[in-house]
Amino acid sequence: MARYISRRLVLSLVTLWLLATIVFIIANVLPNDVGRTILGPFAPQESVDALNQKLGTDRPLIVQYADSMRRVFTFDYGDSYVTGQPVLPQLAAAMARSAKLAGLALFLTIPIAIAAGIFAARRRDRLADRGVVLLGVTSSSIPEFVTGTILVVVVGVQLKLLPVLATPPPNADIPTQIRYLLMPATAMAIVYFGYIARMTRAGTIDVLQSDYTRTATMKGLTTGQVMRKHVLRNALIPTVAVIAVQVGYLFGGIIAVEKIFNYNGMGQTMLFAAQRKDIPMLTAGAIIIGIVYMLATLAADMTMAWMNPRIRLDTEH
Amino acid sequence: MDYRKLDEVRGSAVPLQLDTIEAFAAGRLSRREFIQRATVLGLSTGAIGMVIAACSSSSSSPSAAASVGASTAPSAAASVGASTAPSAAATGGVIRIASQKPVSVDPVAMQDLGGYGITAQSFEFLCTLDKGGSNIAPGLALKWTPNSDGTVWTFDLRQNVKWHDGSPFTADDVVATMERLVAAGNSGLKGVLGPGGAVAKDANTVVFTLVGGNGNFPYLVSVFNAQTLITPKAYVAGTTLDKVPAGTGAWKLKTYNAQTGATFERNPDWWGGPTPLDGTEFIFFDATGPMVTAYQGAQVDAIVQFDVLSGASLFNDPNFSIIATEAALHRQIWMRTDKGQFADKRVRQALAFTFDRPALIQQLFKGKAQLGNDHVIWQGYPYFDSSVPQRAQDTAKAKQLLSDAGVSNLTATLHCGQLLEIPDLATLLKSQAAQAGITLNVAVESLDTFYGAQWCPAAPKDPPCSGAAELGIVDYGHRATPDVYLNAALKSKGIWNSSQYNSPAFDAAFKEFQTSVGVDAQKAACTKIETILNDDVPIGLPYFYNYLAGNSKKFTGVYSSALGQMFFSAAATA
Repeated sequence: MARYISRRLVLSLVTLWLLATIVFIIANVLPNDVGRTILGPFAPQESVDALNQKLGTDRPLIVQYADSMRRVFTFDYGDSYVTGQPVLPQLAAAMARSAKLAGLALFLTIPIAIAAGIFAARRRDRLADRGVVLLGVTSSSIPEFVTGTILVVVVGVQLKLLPVLATPPPNADIPTQIRYLLMPATAMAIVYFGYIARMTRAGTIDVLQSDYTRTATMKGLTTGQVMRKHVLRNALIPTVAVIAVQVGYLFGGIIAVEKIFNYNGMGQTMLFAAQRKDIPMLTAGAIIIGIVYMLATLAADMTMAWMNPRIRLDTEH
Repeated sequence: MDYRKLDEVRGSAVPLQLDTIEAFAAGRLSRREFIQRATVLGLSTGAIGMVIAACSSSSSSPSAAASVGASTAPSAAASVGASTAPSAAATGGVIRIASQKPVSVDPVAMQDLGGYGITAQSFEFLCTLDKGGSNIAPGLALKWTPNSDGTVWTFDLRQNVKWHDGSPFTADDVVATMERLVAAGNSGLKGVLGPGGAVAKDANTVVFTLVGGNGNFPYLVSVFNAQTLITPKAYVAGTTLDKVPAGTGAWKLKTYNAQTGATFERNPDWWGGPTPLDGTEFIFFDATGPMVTAYQGAQVDAIVQFDVLSGASLFNDPNFSIIATEAALHRQIWMRTDKGQFADKRVRQALAFTFDRPALIQQLFKGKAQLGNDHVIWQGYPYFDSSVPQRAQDTAKAKQLLSDAGVSNLTATLHCGQLLEIPDLATLLKSQAAQAGITLNVAVESLDTFYGAQWCPAAPKDPPCSGAAELGIVDYGHRATPDVYLNAALKSKGIWNSSQYNSPAFDAAFKEFQTSVGVDAQKAACTKIETILNDDVPIGLPYFYNYLAGNSKKFTGVYSSALGQMFFSAAATA
């Protein structure tokens, strides 16, 4: 296990380097002027030149790239080009907001979707199964921004049941924070319900048809015992992999949802940075999201190994 | 005409003020123009009222003067008089405001409306905004007086004003602020005020010696030059509001989060007296659509700025009070005058004759705009000359002009950026031009690409913008004077001269405008400018549109500038 984790960490460094390089290339591929983008089209050229010099964006690209890589691996992301404030505290705050929203969305989605998937699998090809499958396909086909807009108009504006903005007042208690986040989290949960429920259903059907399940049933175990001891641990393995990917995606920020609910998570922060060519912010944000993705998949791998010991993390065994 | 009253004011007026009084008395200025001009030149509210009363037919009746007090400079009166008493009874409560997310809250360096709006809550200007939203009124300066040629301006400061930390506000703070602004190359003061140009005569008087005569100087140290907020002498350039929240204004910064919002609490020691409300809460947004939704969901009470398209529902909301400030905000449809299909003046005129301006205003702004006449002198400027004939849609004339120029099947690409109503404007212009046989292909691009590749590419540098496309639409914000539009966009080799307009006659008229300080001289220069531009048409200018803000009718006393600054010192719950 230790060797496996070590190897994954080394691979992660390579991935982060690639990620940072790609971000740098994308940020610099267009012939755009950072100083001009920040100061606006009407700023005098002297001011633009002075700002470019101050930011170092007038240096050769290779020098800027080397500086960028140094910052990536020393976790010294410097100051935002736009606000002049250190990048990491701003990203940490945005990440914390994204984590709250993603956490609530997953909390809403996972139990319901897994329960629905198992429910459908045990009633395969019956009306209930068809209903869950149809619901899953429909919910995952509607983009978050459509669901979010409908929720805002109906629940927020018309019925005034929940706040239309997701950012709670400063120092709000946990119930208040949940109340503010409930609508955007629901919009996200509706989409992911479909993915997770269908994956759970497929995995469960597969396991229910397996020899060891049949054997367990023939041994005289009750249905509940079969499900708990033999089916669930195996059936949920692909679901865990899907959830891990979704975690990274949710933490990375759902820009549409954040915009609709005016929530300053990672999505809006990164979009703002991209629009303003705030390369330190953009690079640091991409790296942080990359780290979250890697940790989520690592956690998923380890969870899967725990659920099914036949999965060996270390290929030498 | 009541000469006795008139002479009373004449006797105490300096030459520039006298010039304005005579222009009004002779009927060369409208009442609105006179009030605007006289305020800028530092005539007191009482003197303005006396002149209007003296010149009106019912000069002896008190109603004329009374109406002045009600409609012209109420804020001046309120500001001056409010130093000892609150402007309204305290009602308590907090107003929640939807605002653009500030890019910077550094009072000296900020360049965005979000920053302007936040900093103006705690810091104040020498000349603030009157409650009508379009003119200046006494702020930290109680009155200002020019010398005979407008080269020296003396500002008398309000006394007994304190910074939020309790220290006294003095002339030294003003001088230090001006030095910082000059050093930073403030766009309004550049070429007007040099280093050492502001001197403290005593603790409550600052004398500004300008580079040359300037009849509009008070505008340049007012709310209309958003960076001229007065900061403490000890303030260090580059410090942001949240790091040194020490203004003189009605509101003290309580919390600030660059991503989510800011809260302010009442400044009990404000010179205007305690505010009726306990505080304000700004909530930051990236777009206007969610601001409108937030209002509809009862989560905000006021919106700092919205556009007609995203705020359409607000126009029908009986509980929402719209503040439509007439402003010089406009779009310029530039046409290359030096080469290509629009080099012939008749072709440019032809395109301008296809504009159905009233239809554009109705469709794009629901009527909340004023007609443009293909020049940048906005109707709100006191030197605007309405005698220049207004261009109207005339398709037959457009066709004739094209025929005279020997042009048939004119086809051009109309470039524009993805900003507010501009893509819709481009589409409407395309359909209107088609009526005269002109084919416009609309090319909408992201703003960055548009500015960098079409409007004013960085290369070639000399002359500036010589790499611009032959036809495009660019946006211009509000300016208290038209100098920037004239100097940058239209003067030969101007830094934003995308049409590559090069007219010695225009340049001479602009120079005449810049160097004239009296209202008659400025108006005469503007007549030339309007006439030349309307005839040459280096730019089409179909409208000047209103700046839109608004608030729930649960609150009264809210007013707004056209630069993102919303004022709540007199706001109260209804």
